[in-house]
This record gives sequence, structure tokens and C-alpha cells, in this order.
Amino acid sequence: MKKSQPSPEQHPTADVLIIGAGFAGLGTAIRLQQQGIRNIVILERSDDVGGTWRDNQYPGAACDIPSNLYSFSFAQNPNWSRSFSGSREILDYIHHLLNHFNLRQYIRFNQNVSNLAWDQDKGLWQATTTDGGVFSGRTAVMAQGPLSNPGWPGIAGIEDFEGKKIHSAAWDHDYDLKGKRIAVIGTGASAIQIVPELAKCAGKLTVFQRTPPWIMPRPDFTTPEWNKTLFRKAPMSQSAVRKALYLAHESMALAVIWNSPLTRFAERLGQWHLRKQVPDRWLRRQLTPDYRLGCKRILVSNDYYPALQKPNTKLITWPIDRISENGIRTVEGIEHQFDCIVFATGFEVSNAGTPFPITGIGGRSLNEEWKRGAQAYKSINVSGYPNLFFTFGPNSGPGHNSALVYMESQMDYIVRSIRTIKSLKLKALDVRQSAQDDHNRSIQKRLAKTNWNSGCQSWYLTEDGFNATMYPGFATQYAKQMADLELKDYRLLAEEAASKTV
Amino acid sequence: MAMIDLDKMLEKIKDTQWSLSDVDWDAPGAELITPEQWPKLKAFMADLMWIEHVGARAFAAMAKKAPDDTLRQIYTYFHAEEQRHANAEMALMKRWGMLEDGELPEPNNNLRLVIEWLDRFADDQPIYVLGTVVPMLEIALDGALCKFLLDTVDDPVCHQAFELINGDEARHLGVGFSVMEMQGHGRTYIDLVRMTAQLMDPRLILGIASYFPLLNKMRDNIVEMGLPEEKLYEAMRKFEKIGGRTEDGRRNPWFQIIKHHGRFVVDRKKRFYHAPIDALVKVADLIPRKAFPAVPSWVKEITYQPTA
Repeated sequence: MKKSQPSPEQHPTADVLIIGAGFAGLGTAIRLQQQGIRNIVILERSDDVGGTWRDNQYPGAACDIPSNLYSFSFAQNPNWSRSFSGSREILDYIHHLLNHFNLRQYIRFNQNVSNLAWDQDKGLWQATTTDGGVFSGRTAVMAQGPLSNPGWPGIAGIEDFEGKKIHSAAWDHDYDLKGKRIAVIGTGASAIQIVPELAKCAGKLTVFQRTPPWIMPRPDFTTPEWNKTLFRKAPMSQSAVRKALYLAHESMALAVIWNSPLTRFAERLGQWHLRKQVPDRWLRRQLTPDYRLGCKRILVSNDYYPALQKPNTKLITWPIDRISENGIRTVEGIEHQFDCIVFATGFEVSNAGTPFPITGIGGRSLNEEWKRGAQAYKSINVSGYPNLFFTFGPNSGPGHNSALVYMESQMDYIVRSIRTIKSLKLKALDVRQSAQDDHNRSIQKRLAKTNWNSGCQSWYLTEDGFNATMYPGFATQYAKQMADLELKDYRLLAEEAASKTV
Repeated sequence: MAMIDLDKMLEKIKDTQWSLSDVDWDAPGAELITPEQWPKLKAFMADLMWIEHVGARAFAAMAKKAPDDTLRQIYTYFHAEEQRHANAEMALMKRWGMLEDGELPEPNNNLRLVIEWLDRFADDQPIYVLGTVVPMLEIALDGALCKFLLDTVDDPVCHQAFELINGDEARHLGVGFSVMEMQGHGRTYIDLVRMTAQLMDPRLILGIASYFPLLNKMRDNIVEMGLPEEKLYEAMRKFEKIGGRTEDGRRNPWFQIIKHHGRFVVDRKKRFYHAPIDALVKVADLIPRKAFPAVPSWVKEITYQPTA
């Protein structure tokens, strides 16, 4: 990495400044490029693309959504090896996008943005990196990922542990796990994928659970060769499969998002799955969720429950008191000793703040405004922060369908807006506060009726119980919301006459 | 006494944790157990340990039924803390040479019945029932028995362990009585109706059938150890005194029932109560071991080893 102290002059102003080279950042660049917008700069904090899929390479890492749906509709891959692909294969797909669409030219690697500020006079967003570099763009896209920083639990004594500590989102592949005494803290999406892999090699594996998740059977299979050939020779057939998967997931919204008879049906399916895989009554009781399905993220796995019952594996549901030098002390008075503790404790969620300071018109701070829960207009713009676009902004999270489906709607909205800014020669496109307020009133009213707001604690909610994360509806509804750029909801500031608003 | 602030209580619980490794189980003093004491103490400790363990299971059921998240968390902690008491008592037994390596004491037949009942039905019981029965069991069987033990055993490690255990129990009782008061608040009529319906439930009748003999069995144990049974009765009267100190507490119909039952238990002259229950104790002892189904897996979770 070159250690220089660049000044703004050294980095020519881009039309679009994108922060993050994961799915959202690269996808936005592809869509912009396809519309003839090529003056793009992508700032990436690491030395490789891939975001979440670059970081989450823990043993067993895979996607919970079928690959034919967890990929871009405009860049389908006929060669997925399984119905649910592993993390490595998804990362390979991202590298394929990088090369196929020739995106490397836009990316500035090892540029970790620490500040983003709007320069009202110049009509530019200026991103400062931790190295002191300054990059500017007429528009900016936040594609840093909603779940990109490892979250460590607030357990007392975490610093005292003298063994190895590994976070699922920053796996140490050099550490040999074979025969070791390993603890896994957490039983969320990452943990249930890690546990079956660790159970194969650990000498002793102990899984510490606070709340059991709802786990559904995972219809996972190896893609037969004829299927790959079919998709290659007749791409329409893959589009048809994708459409079918999309509709199947859309129907799941009825069980996941709202409390309906289908929710009961899905709960029965989960209970059946548990009963079928776990014969012991007490273990089954420990693994039975006591909150409504859908309130927290629903997981899929066929090998988690069997792994917990291996002779070298044990589930502990006693509350953790503290971490000590040698292991984990639980409230039943026992110190469970380990060589290694795996923290499968998820990510820092910025639903009540921004990952780095973002300053808008007149020096207003988005971190301050979002303190009581993030709010945006259609998840994508925030009033007072013109020409700034969020991917996976407030209330855009899906609970039942592919995140990439939602992402495509956002990317197309961004491209449409940037084209408008360019064609109307706008200095600033700033959403009206009233439009943003109206949108949030409606969203929060709809959220009140969902399972996410039904009383459990989850990362979807802020500490005060405000849901700043999820979108309360079908993906189709979200796509409709994002289909039109309604200029009446924006203040338009022309480039020539900066004082004149339209 | 005003009702306690449960949120503050939860914080206090989290701040006052201890673990088995805080006690030096090999410290001198084990020799203070006399040869005459030893066999009776062994039987007594085995039962005491099982009662803690069974109490733990009852708290697990209460955690499932808790009306709010704070109480659910509190009961989850209490579940683990009762288990810790059972573990600590087992560690004492190990210290006193009452357990072989890896040995788990055999529960008596009355306890086997209670274990069986708890495993099958406890989760289905309303919190009204468990919320009153558990404080009673804690006061009578746990609190009182611990006190007897300290009166007769001179081993300082035993005293150290029970000081920690009693600290936990004080909080368990504080929450227990507070919840009883909450339940009694102005809902007497509804509760009476509900309770009557519950009494018709054969599963609950089974529970009562195993709980009553357990009390009499422990009384017999105490007498066997040469302790005055009056002390157990004193403890049971404490339940009446604390539970009935406020109007709300007295209004809880389950409190009334358990209170009257307690009066029967302490009065040996109530032959119409004691004759059949004592008979049940004897009958339970006659049940062949093979007749019980395999113990549920939670029973095997206890350990005397401070580290795992």
C-alpha cells in the first residue's frame, strides 16, 4: 500500500463516489456503467472486493437464500454447484462480476473512509480516509454494508481470556482447531453453520445459547450437471426458476412478516423438524423458541441439531456470568474451560447512528439525527443530505426474500436519480423533510402490525424498541415503492443558479 | 413491605454471582464430620441436593411462563442458581467422601415421583401454582434444611458454601413473595375461578400427590438425623408470616391453600391428613426402581466438579 498524503487535487472529482466494494457497491457501478456513467470512484477499505462474503469465510459459511435468487438478475450464473452455495463460491461470483464488467478500474483499495461531508458551495461530497486522503464526488453512494463490522458481546472479563479468540466475521484460518476444546458463543445464523463444521474436528465443542432460533429444514442439494447445461444453453429456463423461487419466497412473507395461520404452519414445521432430529425431551425443550416465528431472523439447517448431539458436543443454556482466564463461567457455578472461544455474535448494527460521521447541509450531523433510530425517505435518501444515497438504508431489510432483490431496486433508483441530476444539471437533489416524515409515519404504522415488533428483542430494533431496519411488506411492494423517482418529493437546486430552488 | 423493583433485582442478581471455584473444597475441616453423623448426613445431603435440583427445574418452568422479560430473565438465573446449589452440595458430599468419582446420588422414590411429574407437567402449570408452591418448598425444605445443617456440621467449608447459597435464597424468596403479591392484586374472584378449574386438572392432582409426601418424607429425614422437627415447622410458619404480610399477598388464593396445608403438615394431630400421606410415603418407598422410566436428561446435568 502506498503511503501518500493526497490532496483533493490529486483525486479528480468523480460523478459518483461509492463507499464499499461489496455486492451493493459493485452492482451500482455495473448499473451506472450500463447507463454510460463511468466517472466512478469506489473506495474499499480492504485489499479485495466482496464485503460480507470476503469477511465471512468461517467454516461452513453459506447463504440462506438459494443461489439462483441470491445473485443479480442481470448477471445470472448457470454454474452454481449447490442450491444454497457456500461463501467461497459466492465470493468467486463477485470476482467474476469484477472481471466481467471490468470494474477494477474504479476501485481504490485500502481506503477506509472516516468522514463524509457535504460541501454546499461546491456541491460536492468529500470523503476523508483514515490515511488522510480526500476523495470528492458530485453524488455519493453509501454501500458500506449494514452488517460489516464484527459485533463483540458485552460479557464481563472478555479481555481476561488467555486462549484464542476468533470472531466468525474475521476467521483466523491459520489456527488449527483439530482436537481443541472450543466454545461457540451465540446461536444465530453464523453459529448454526459453524457448529456442524467444528463438531467434525473439535476435541470438545460447547455451544452457549441465550435464545434458541427457529430453524427450518434446508432443501439443499448438489446441482446436477444436466441442470447447469440447461441453464447455460437456455438462460430463459434459469430466469423461470429464479421467478419461481422469487414467488415462493414472496409467499413466505405471509408467515414471516405478519402473524397469520401460515405463521402457525411454519412454527409447526419448525417443531416437526426439531422433533424429528432431536429425540431427547429436555434438549428439545432447550431448543424450542418461546417467541413468535418471524420476530427474529429465521434460520435454515439440516445439520445443526444433529451436530449438537454428537458425543463431543454439548449445548449450554445457563446464563454466562463472565469470561475468565481459562474459559467461561456460567451461573450454575461451573467454569467451562477452553483453548479457543468462537464469537458467533453477529455484527455492530448501525440502526441508531452512522458508521462514520456524515455531515450534511449547514453542518448537520446524521449520527446525531439518527440517535433515536435511523430514518430515511424510501430507505434511500435523507433530507438535508443531498445527492447522497443509501443501499440497505433504514427500513429496507427483507425477512423473507433475497437481499439482492431489494438491492437491485435500490441500485436502479440510484442510477435513475443520478441520471436526473446529470440531465437536469442539478447541483443538489434533496428530499423534502415533509415527504420523509410522511413515508416514515406510514412505515412505522405498518411495522406495528408485524412479527418483528411483536415483543422479542432482536437486532432489528434499537434499544428503545424502534424498528429502523425492516421493510414491512412484500419485495414486490418494495420494488413498486422504488420504481418511481417522484420529483415532487424533492427540492431541486440548479447548478447554474445555486440560490434558486425549483 | 413494598414490592421490590424487579429490574433492580435482576441487576443485583447479575452483580452477585459466584462459582464453585470460589470455594477451596480441599481446605481443612472435612475431618470435623463425626462417624455417627456421616451415614445420616449422607442421606440428608443426597435428598437436599435433589430438592435443589428439582427446585431448579421448577424455576425453568416458571421462566417459560413469566409474564414479562425481566421476570423471565430472573427465573432463568434462579434456575441456574438452584443448579449451582445442587452442584455445591454435591461438591460437599464429594469432599466428605460420600461420592465415588463420577457418582450421582440416587434420588429417593418420592423425589423420583416429583422429578417425573415436573418433567411431564411442570411446563403446563400456570405460574399461579408454581409461583406459590416454589417459595413454600424453598422456605420449608431448602431454607430450613440448610439451617439445620449449619447447626450440626462444624466444617468451615460447609459454612462458607451455605453462606453463598443462603445469599441466593434470600433473593429467590424476595422475588417469590413479591410475585405472590402481584398475583393477589385485586383479582381474587378470577383467580378463584381459575384455580378451581386447575384443581380439576388431573395433572395438578398428580403433582399434589407427589408434593405432599415429599414434605412428610423430609420431616422423617430430619427426625432420623436427630434434629427437632419443630424447626421445620417454624420455617413453614415463616411462609405464612411473610406471604401473608400484605393484603395483596393474603388475597392470593394459592397462598391461602398452601398456608392451610402448611398448618396441617405441622400438626401431627391431624391424623386424617398424616395417616394417608405417611402411607403414601411408605407406598412410594415400595415402588420398585425398575418401575420408574429412565430419568430425564436434565437430571444428569449436575456435577461436583468446579471446572468442566
